[in-house]
Formats: sequence, structure tokens, C-alpha cells
Amino acid sequence: MEAREFRAGVRDWIDEVGEPLVPAIEDQSVEAQLNHQRRVQRLLFDAGWMRWGWPTRIGGLGGSPILRAVLGEELTSRALVHTTSWSMHEVLGPAAAEFGRPDLVEDIFPLLLRGEEFWCQGFSEPDAGSDLGSMRTTARPRSDGWVINGEKLWTSWAHHATRCIVLARTGGPGSRGISAFLIDMDTPGVTASPLETMAGVDEFCSTSFVDVEVPAERLLGELDAGWRVAQFILSCERGPIFWQRGAWLAHHLGLLLDTAGDGASSALGEAYQLLWAFRATSKSTQDRIAAGDLPGPEASVDKIMIAAADQAVFDVARDLLRGDMETDDTARSRAWRREWAYSRAATIYGGTSEIQKDIVASRLLGLPRSA
Amino acid sequence: MTEAHTIDAAERVLMAATLRGLAEELDGTELAQALDAFGFADLLAEAPRDAVSTLFTALGRAGSMSTSLQDVLLQPLAEYLPMATECNVALPGIGADQVGATEGEPLAVRGLVIGARPAPTYLAPVVIRGEPAWIGLQESSGISTRRVNGLDPALAMTEITGADVTADVIVAGKPAVAAWDAVATAGRLALGYQILGAVGQMIDLAVDHARSRVQFGRPIGSFQAVRNRLADAHVAREGAAAALASAWDADDAFLAGLLAKSLAGRAARIAATQCQQVLAGIGFTAEHPFHLFLARALVLDSVLGSATELPTAIGAHLISAGTIPRLVDL
Repeated sequence: MEAREFRAGVRDWIDEVGEPLVPAIEDQSVEAQLNHQRRVQRLLFDAGWMRWGWPTRIGGLGGSPILRAVLGEELTSRALVHTTSWSMHEVLGPAAAEFGRPDLVEDIFPLLLRGEEFWCQGFSEPDAGSDLGSMRTTARPRSDGWVINGEKLWTSWAHHATRCIVLARTGGPGSRGISAFLIDMDTPGVTASPLETMAGVDEFCSTSFVDVEVPAERLLGELDAGWRVAQFILSCERGPIFWQRGAWLAHHLGLLLDTAGDGASSALGEAYQLLWAFRATSKSTQDRIAAGDLPGPEASVDKIMIAAADQAVFDVARDLLRGDMETDDTARSRAWRREWAYSRAATIYGGTSEIQKDIVASRLLGLPRSA
Repeated sequence: MTEAHTIDAAERVLMAATLRGLAEELDGTELAQALDAFGFADLLAEAPRDAVSTLFTALGRAGSMSTSLQDVLLQPLAEYLPMATECNVALPGIGADQVGATEGEPLAVRGLVIGARPAPTYLAPVVIRGEPAWIGLQESSGISTRRVNGLDPALAMTEITGADVTADVIVAGKPAVAAWDAVATAGRLALGYQILGAVGQMIDLAVDHARSRVQFGRPIGSFQAVRNRLADAHVAREGAAAALASAWDADDAFLAGLLAKSLAGRAARIAATQCQQVLAGIGFTAEHPFHLFLARALVLDSVLGSATELPTAIGAHLISAGTIPRLVDL
């Protein structure tokens, strides 16, 4: 299916289904957000739209990953789903499809697409953020499997997740001794504790693993090759996820046009031009992914750009909605506050802007590595 | 703006190499003659995107200038002005929207001609009693011309001024507005590419310096403060380059031109600041070529709307349209 035809089909379908796709604004809890997404995903799966862009062997209908970017864009540009939770299957799905045991993936992947399962990502640790290679969670071999011990941080949606992709140390120090595992969250020894953010959302968790037994077939990819899985996952974040987040930002900028007087033209124009620079850049990345290339260091540019656009858009919002932003407690203002607060993390999550700039400096500009 | 003719990959490579070579070796009149012999005007008519992106990037990289900007500016006027080919287009003076405006008599003008041809007539966009118009100006109209040295003497701009000129109106009203939009858009894209060529040169000079200059026993390019500055310049350049490339296919060509030029100017300012800081003392000297590219990029940033002026125009455009155009689609 071509992107144009797919987009037209999705738009017609959204118009046809109507009301059930629109989230209630009053309850802004993570639980309500995820419950709504579950319903939307189920409807999309049954109508087929959710399955396009994924391989047929795992329950998809085939076609280019561009189709997934288009679907995300059509949903987030109408705020029918929230862009952060809509990223979940895009972050972890491709890695499971690429590195998981085929029989396992065949069984569980359709559940992810249908919204019956949510997955989370166990990468960061209290002492391993930007320096992911220094992580300490361990996986020790035991009879026909592994025993995992450690603590993961910033595991978004962990308390609502069915499974988690966990990086754990199986070999020596550094990035070479790490393996990736797909772990069921209901395994004894797994505990997810929500951390409330300044956005007032308990999306993040601290997740601990105490003597968690994992069967051998839950290893993703080769032993000690978890770094490749991690790199693959981080690359995937630069794909459809970025495209739909850009659409989410454009939607929010659009909501501000009614309140914007002439005095706001400049700030609005600045935010829009940053968003457009990102979008024009990201289009090439989406095209490369569709051609089968994994985004390389040049996608660090995309990450720096979207983070800058993200913060610019919500800085304009804070300016234009001043008063409401600080003192109003209606659902609308609470939603704006939450989005503004979330945008503060745009330069942090998924690899900080400083790390991205370092990659740009070394890999794209050829500057010598820091001593 | 769509391609009238698509040239194939081999032709494109050959054309790019030729134009780059000419822009590097020649400047001014000699370059203009060589480009005429090459058939730049035909290329511009047949494949505007390839012609403009290649030549103007090369001009920015080489620090040279030719009359080709006049070819680009006159092209959209050809359909309104049959006699346009033997003229120059005068752009509004820096900071101005038009070359002149009057509520009656007299009409005062101030315009800037970049890459002037040896032709005595200047076409200028003005506003007469609230109505946009293009007028023809020559010495007999009461204008004087001045060769501009300014911040970038090598650019050899001409300023035309007149306190009370005789306006020879060529086209007025809606067609004049459409002509101005098209001329401004074509000029913004060409200058955007030229700015980015200069930006690329500034970044290359600073990167070379950061790799070879050793302080505290290590190349300065290994210090994160230096690396971050150059990464910022690179990211700004990439965003502007993508915006320029997408502008040719955008539904709203005028808005896309504003965006591309604004982002190119923004990249110029970021690269000028960051690269000069990395080059430090040597980049401040006249013997190092850096200042030539800095001056070229910053002067061109100010022409047809600067990176501080254009965002306001873009924002106003969005507010009056009431929507956020997607501009780029998958």
C-alpha cells in the first residue's frame, strides 16, 4: 500500500469512527490515557490500520514502515492518542521482531499491536544514564536460563506493562559484556514503583529485579550482543516516533493560533521554523528507514532538532497562555502544563542533547574524541 | 515551483563539477561571461532547482559572485514584463519591505542591486498610494547609484537612491504583488543556498583548526565546549539545508521561501558566532579567509528579510491563515 492511499484510508476511517476515538480531557491520569489507547489500538487493529508497516510473519500486513509514521501522524495531529504512549510499540516492537525467537514473537507481537499488552524498556540505571555501558544489572546463567538482579530507572509505563526489554551484564565490563532479555513483568522478583514527574504524571518507574528467573529463549539476539539490540532500539526511536511527535507539536502550535496576537508573531514563527527544519530533515530519515537503512549518527541531528523544536513550541505556549499556565486549574490548562513540563525533558530522554552533539562532533565533523 | 525538466544523475554530477570549478576560479565579470558561455540561463529555465542549488552553493563556498542572481530574480518577472531581460532588479534596501512608497508626490527610493549586469535600467517594487507596483528606473528618472563597499566590499553591490523620482509604472495591482512574491521567493532560495555555502566554508575552516590546533597537549577539538559549538553550527546548517531542499516541492512556495531564508540566516548567525570563537585569534585576522565568509553570510542574511525579521512574517502568515501547514509530507 502506498503512503498516500494509506493516509486517505486512515482519515476516512477516523471520520467514520468518530467519537469513540476522542479521549476524555477530564481524567488525565496515565491509567485513563493507556485505557483509551488500548481501545483505539483494538479498533485500529480490527480495521487493519494498526497492522500495516509490520512484517506478515509477526501478524502485520507488510508494507513500508512509512505507513506506521503516517498512522502515528494522523492520530497525534488530532490528539486522538498521546504521543508518548503511542511511542511504546514503536520503541520496542521492531527490536522484538528483529531479535526475538520467531515462535515467541509470533505469539506475543499481535497482542502488542492490539493494545492487549504494553511493554517497557529497562535500559537506564541509577548510576548509568548517558553512560549506559557502565550499567550493573546482572544476568547469571542457571540451568536452562538466567537469573537477573539489579535496578532500572526511567522505565516508562512499567507499572502497566506486561513485558520489559532489559539490558543486563552477562560478560565483562563495558558495552561488550551486555545482553538483552525480554522479561515478563509478572515474574516473581520484578517490582515497578512509579516516580511522579514535575508534569504530575506517574509515567516513569524505578523497577527492581531481585533473583528474577528468565528462561533461555528470552535472550534477544546473541549472548553478549545486547549493545547491538540497544543501538537498534535507539535508532528506531528516530523513525516513526519522531515523525508523530513532530505532528503532535504542530497540533499544539495550531491550538495557540487563536490566542496569538500580532505581538506573538515572532516567537510563533521561530517555533514553527524549528519544527519545519526538523520535519524537512526527518523526512529523509523516514525515507532511509523505508529503504531498509538503520539510521546512523546523522539521526543525532534529528534528535537535537526535535528537542529544540519541542521546547520552543511549549515555551511559546507558556508565553501565550500566561496566567492560565500558572494559576488556572481547568482540564485544558492542566493539559498544557503537563505538556510544557514534559517538553523540559526533550533534551534529556533518548540520549541527551550533549551526547548527541558529541556524536555529531566525532562522527559527522571528524573531531578527535575527548581524552 | 516544479521542475520543468529533469536532468539525469550523470548530467547533474557533470554540471555541478563545472559550476563549482567556475565559481572557484573566476569572479565578477569573468565569471558572468563563463556562466553565459556555459548556458546557465538555459539550465535555469529547464531545471531551476538543480541550477540554483548548485550554482549558489558554489558561489557561497568560493566567496565569488556573478550576475546569475539577476537571472534568478528576472525569471519570474519575464511573464509580466516582456522587456525584462536587459534590466537589473533592485531589491529593497536592508530592513525595508519595498524600494519605495509614496502617498502621492514625491516618490523616494532606496534599493540594493546585487550581481548587477551592465544594464542601465532597474526594476523596483514600490507602493504608490497603497497599491503595489513595479517601476522602471534609470538615470533620467532622477536616481543616483553608488558602489557599496560596506561590510563585504567584494560583493560589489550597487545602491540606488532618489529623493524624487519619475515613476515609470510597468505593472500594478495584483499582478505586481504576484510578481513580487515570486521574485522574493526565488531570491530567498538563491541567497539561502549562497549563505549555506558560506556557512559550510566557515564550519570547514573551524573544524580544520579544531583538529590541528593543540593546546594543553591536545587538539582543541577534543574539548567538549569546542565540540558542542561546532555541533550546534552543523545542526543549524543541516536544518536550513533540508528546509531549502523541501521548499521546491511545498504547496505554499512563498511561506517555504520565508522559512528557508530565515533558517539559512539563522545558520549563518550561529556558524559565524561559534566558528569564530573556535578559530579564536586567527579567525579575527584579515590574513585568514574566515572573515570573508562571515561577512558574505551576514550581509546576505540581511537581504530579503533577516533571521530576526522573517520569523515575524512567518508567524503573521500562520496567524492569518489560522492553520499550521504541514509543508512536507511522507
